[in-house]
Amino acid sequence: MHKIAEIEVQHNIMKANEKIAKRIQESLNSHNVFSVDFVGAIGSGKTTLIEELITDMNGNIAVIAGDVISKFDAGRFKKHGIPVVGLNTGKECHLDAHLVEHVLDDIPLKDIDYLFIENVGNLICPVDFDLGAHMRVVVISVSEGDDTVEKHPLIFQSADLVVINKVDIADAVGADADKMVADAKALNPNVKIIKTSLKHKEGLKEVIFAIEEFLIQ
Amino acid sequence: MHELSMAEGILKAVIEKSEDNNATEVIEVVVEIGKMVLINPEQIKFLLDVLSEDTIVKGAIFTIEEIPIEIDCPECEYKGKIDDDELDHYAPVVNCPKCGNKRLHITNGKDCIVKNIIIEQED
Repeated sequence: MHKIAEIEVQHNIMKANEKIAKRIQESLNSHNVFSVDFVGAIGSGKTTLIEELITDMNGNIAVIAGDVISKFDAGRFKKHGIPVVGLNTGKECHLDAHLVEHVLDDIPLKDIDYLFIENVGNLICPVDFDLGAHMRVVVISVSEGDDTVEKHPLIFQSADLVVINKVDIADAVGADADKMVADAKALNPNVKIIKTSLKHKEGLKEVIFAIEEFLIQ
Repeated sequence: MHELSMAEGILKAVIEKSEDNNATEVIEVVVEIGKMVLINPEQIKFLLDVLSEDTIVKGAIFTIEEIPIEIDCPECEYKGKIDDDELDHYAPVVNCPKCGNKRLHITNGKDCIVKNIIIEQED
């Protein structure tokens, strides 16, 4: 005999990620490590920004380099002589807490002050996945087009700091950086927005100050 | 896209529950997806069909129920549903219907939940 049964499951897929994210943050807190999730468009300057922060910021930094194939960015960070873990996502378009927790053991948490996590270049998917970081920095550049902010509202609403990079080439690519600032402000009225030209270190000090200020809060 | 990892998570939960309940077949799987979750229900269904191929879940009907957005506005203290019919599913910008504020606590519509399964069991 066979019988048909309705079984309650109530398994929350998003909560599973949140739970791990919470565990990650507790582990970071217990080592007094401040963690930043860097998300942004492909080619917007996330890796460059992190490299500049490694060079100019006070404190010991480790990096988790997340990418579809992570060895390229991880190689750039390793040149700075800091602990780096590459995290390949393969087919996946974002990091999730589960992946980050997996590599957390490879990070010498007791020796560092900051853990920077470079997410996969994507302005959509990372929105749904908290990584347990204390702060989220969204990096875009003018070359993606000045409608980038309004096309991706949720990521900007989830940001604690917005960096608009490559403003020195705005005219050449026909983009209005101030429109991007205004769009981000409209979506997230309290967020700090900094225009940078990281190739020339312009705006870098302000970014460092904003991260340090957020840490104190 | 991250529909793949979501579909894998859904399938894993369904298989575990089916095995715990000695299922011989899974007839239907009901999944709730909040309107604030950036995933496409049609893609999820397609992936579930593909991924379940060699599992006990093969051939099951996947029913997706979309969960409306509910908010809690810190500005004017409005609590409850918003009109989300016209919302762009891929970039939902939510405003408070009372005061227009965009910095809101989303109290519902951000989850993806495997609600229940209908299975055939051996007696």
